[in-house]
Amino acid sequence: MSLYIKLALRYLSGRKLRTALTTLAIMFGVLVIFGMNTFMPTFVQAFQTQMMAVAGQIDVTISHKTGEAFDPSVLEKVRQVEGVKVVMGSLERLINLPADYFDQDPNTPDRVSTVVLKGIDPELARQMIVFNVVQGRFLQPDDLGAAVITRSLARELGVGVGDTLALPTAVGIADLRIVGLLPERVLPGNEEVLVTLTEAQRLLNMPGKINLIDINLDTLDEARRTEIQQRIVAAVGDAYKIGALESGSEILTNIRNAQMIFNLMGFLALLMGGFIIFNTFRTVVAERRRDIGMLRALGASRSTIRGLILTEGLIQGVVGTIAGLISGYLFGWLLLQLIVPIGQQYLNIKVGLPAISPSLVLGSSVMGIGVTVLAGLLPAHSATRVTPLEALRPSVGQVSFKRLAGFSFWAGVVLMALGVAILISRQAAWLGIGAIFFVGALILMAPALINPIAVLFGNLLALLFARHGTAQLAEGNLSRQPGRATVTASTTMIAMAVVIMMASALSSVSLTFIHVLEKSLGSDFLIMPPTVAVWGSNTGAAPELARKLREIPGVELVSTLRFAGTQVKGVAVGLLGVDPQAYRQLEALSFSAGDPESAYQALESERAIVINGVLAAAANIHLGDEITLLTPAGQQVYRVVGIATDYLNAKTTTGYISQQNLAADFGRTEDVFYQINLKPGADQATVEAAIAQLLKAYPQFKVFSGKRYVEENKRLFDVVLLSMYAMAAFLAIPSLIAMVNTLAIGVIERTREIGMLRAVGATRGQIRTIILSEALILSAIGTSFGILAGLYMGYMAVKAFEAMGFPMMYLFPASGVLAAIAIGILFGALAATVPARQAARLNVVEALRYE
Amino acid sequence: MQPIVSTQNLVKIYGQGVTAVHALRGINLTIQPGEFVAVMGPSGCGKSTLLHLIGGLDRPTSGKVVIEGEDLTQLSDDKVTALRRRKIGFVFQFFNLIPVLNALENAALPMILDGMRPSEAYQRAREWLERVGLGSRLAHRPSELSGGEQQRVAIARALASEPSIILADEPTGNLDSRASEEIAMLLRQISSEWGRTILLVTHDPRIAAYADRIVFLKDGQIVDETVMERRNGEQVDLVVGKMKEIGD
Repeated sequence: MSLYIKLALRYLSGRKLRTALTTLAIMFGVLVIFGMNTFMPTFVQAFQTQMMAVAGQIDVTISHKTGEAFDPSVLEKVRQVEGVKVVMGSLERLINLPADYFDQDPNTPDRVSTVVLKGIDPELARQMIVFNVVQGRFLQPDDLGAAVITRSLARELGVGVGDTLALPTAVGIADLRIVGLLPERVLPGNEEVLVTLTEAQRLLNMPGKINLIDINLDTLDEARRTEIQQRIVAAVGDAYKIGALESGSEILTNIRNAQMIFNLMGFLALLMGGFIIFNTFRTVVAERRRDIGMLRALGASRSTIRGLILTEGLIQGVVGTIAGLISGYLFGWLLLQLIVPIGQQYLNIKVGLPAISPSLVLGSSVMGIGVTVLAGLLPAHSATRVTPLEALRPSVGQVSFKRLAGFSFWAGVVLMALGVAILISRQAAWLGIGAIFFVGALILMAPALINPIAVLFGNLLALLFARHGTAQLAEGNLSRQPGRATVTASTTMIAMAVVIMMASALSSVSLTFIHVLEKSLGSDFLIMPPTVAVWGSNTGAAPELARKLREIPGVELVSTLRFAGTQVKGVAVGLLGVDPQAYRQLEALSFSAGDPESAYQALESERAIVINGVLAAAANIHLGDEITLLTPAGQQVYRVVGIATDYLNAKTTTGYISQQNLAADFGRTEDVFYQINLKPGADQATVEAAIAQLLKAYPQFKVFSGKRYVEENKRLFDVVLLSMYAMAAFLAIPSLIAMVNTLAIGVIERTREIGMLRAVGATRGQIRTIILSEALILSAIGTSFGILAGLYMGYMAVKAFEAMGFPMMYLFPASGVLAAIAIGILFGALAATVPARQAARLNVVEALRYE
Repeated sequence: MQPIVSTQNLVKIYGQGVTAVHALRGINLTIQPGEFVAVMGPSGCGKSTLLHLIGGLDRPTSGKVVIEGEDLTQLSDDKVTALRRRKIGFVFQFFNLIPVLNALENAALPMILDGMRPSEAYQRAREWLERVGLGSRLAHRPSELSGGEQQRVAIARALASEPSIILADEPTGNLDSRASEEIAMLLRQISSEWGRTILLVTHDPRIAAYADRIVFLKDGQIVDETVMERRNGEQVDLVVGKMKEIGD
């Protein structure tokens, strides 16, 4: 084994606790970055897998860019293209099944939660794909109420040829007779229920429409196939795209935003890890001054010394990174497990194991190890400057009073001014840089500020420990090494800043959302589909259901939402059709621009649209703009009459138009969501029973009491908030290591001084108090800076959310500040225990002889 | 014959102006191969400074230090480091062993630092440890050895790389009198039986009495030199007498 590695391993194992804590710091950073990045793509992937149809053996699939159904006339255009062999129009729709739909048993979760209802032309389909019917027969063109499914689906559902399959559809429950079975499904994706095209159009309430064109080509030659594809695209026009249906692309943007925020947190964690490693290596170099000096005396060159220290860093970096990767994977897995119930409830998706890509592993490793080695460079360099004589000459704790306002202080002042200017200017794009400026400014200014702040807190402590007379000593000890105190305080500062930032952002988000939630969903009853917010994958109900609901005695108002997908300036948008009069009575929309009164009027009387903030930001749209929506029938211009949001759609790019326009331009008339208000004095239970009775034919819907739903959502929100707080606190722990290290160096360097203090009569208790005071002053500095930086970053985060289009109200995180102060004092006291005991237990005679 | 060490007009001044301390004021000292020279003098006379300058641990204010014909004052830090590694063996008062390495590893360290194959370095370290009587303590770490034993490891470490000269700075300063005596006898043996050159700094006359020649320093200058007749520690009185003469 090389000398470097041997020495490094021995030194590391000699200080097990410190090695463990430092390695832990690296692990934390890697964990957050790696864990979040394995979790997010898996989530997105699961989402996409579920949302996308599987193309199977078909050469080319074409769908409308909006994902909406369109007129079959376009088939003729494709048929004209040279090289096209078979063209078939089909209509398919994902049907999300309510939980326990088939087995009716809440204890065993259904294994099939989603199926694709696909309407095909049986003859054309058999020309395109070879269907091996294993039992029964294939569909025939004049089949009504007949379906063909795979053997695997039949087994899951416990049905066979001749049995009936009941599916929730837009026209109520459809009973389909199974006429044939296909082989087991081997491809990933959803099970398909094949019916004739006419049947599908009836069941999905889309007469005469198709939403997919399947095409087989006459060649296998790649170049020619590409050429034919291009001709097809040219023939159908740019409203269509090659590829299967994709719904829910609007939510992907949202997930990516979340990923960015988590990456920022991971970066902060790594930065903190960097500070801690830096600090630890400074301790290491201080502790081993004699060893290093002696190695130099024996002929070790400067580069040998640098190599030794860096090897130690490298070992810790590698171990910490590996541990971070493993625990990050587990963390990702755990998050997925936590998210599965939510995912199933709201998005109806199933998630697998976290996804790992080689580039992610490489990237995380480079960051983890890179930060460690980088942080070790300076201390390693200072180690090379240890002269051989230091092995022979007694060393005295160094005193390096810094001048009050050096270059770095003024540089900090400039940065701080810039940071504040950015905050005032409210330029969203600059806010991230502003935060870096602000934190950087505090770090730069800290060395000069340590003295006055130490004096201030020292005086406070002097009052507290008046009879000990030790606070001044502690204050002096800190201010004679402002550089080291700065590094430690900075670590604490970053930790506290993260806590405060999270507290500000979360409390503001929570306040805003609960406000919007109560406003949006405050109606007496809600009738909801299996997936909320990803409306495109829901099977709605024809207008008949709403009519029947209105007829229930005691019901005053029924407001419904309809859905269509569209694109505005290339951004995928979920379009909600509302009944302007009913929707206005509910006051579900919170307007941030535009006048509600005239907006609702415009919705009713013209092609007008209200968009939410996320969409306004994403596509840079302003009030009064005229925007072009992509519709199945071409393009339509709408006027933006308001910017507003409701709870369910606050996070996705959404627009609101009238149901009348939605039917005219998008051909959609099915309702996917209902809000019901009762007449004063109406009996809740009776109405609920009547609704439940009606919904028996529409099992895709669930009825909720509005209040109960709001309560449930609040609870869910609280759980998320709590776990975010826990994570923030988790991030603060490593700063404890930094404080322990700094205090420990202080004790080592001042061993002789402490011996002298003891010799002239200081008690063990007094020695302990000195160290404790140092710790408290240090953490007070770190915490106060951290609160400042955290408030800035929190305010910035809220503004950033606002800029992204979320409606936000800023809430001063009073409880977060109190928590940070409590954590600061606790950490200070905790950090002091080991070094204080070490100092107090020093043998006076040995300490005096110590060099 | 070329001397192992020669210093010419060696001056070392610490600090500047009124606070300047003249540690050495023009030392001319020559040590021949195989010689065992002790430097004595009262505290603050410049003994250790002289040793540090000869060992290349510190640089003189003026004058020259020549080791086997090479002028240290003309060499870069890296060259001095390399020279230290190959030509000079150090023995310190506080042993200065690396606490996390065992006796064998400590003794082999300078050779490994010099790029020798570890197996060869360990072989040589083992031989020297056996010679200084620690054959049975090879795997012990410094904390598991007595003071005398630790100093023997340090001596084996100094000898193992076959340096031109061994510089010992108060090697018995941290030992009881019995262990001190043993170390002194070992140094004598190293010089007479194994033919090594030794420069020893001490203020203990009983140890100095084992040397071939004793150089007396006072206020940074050589004030006397005595060649010993018997070199077995018996002429302690002679040494004590000289010390009194120079006023220690």
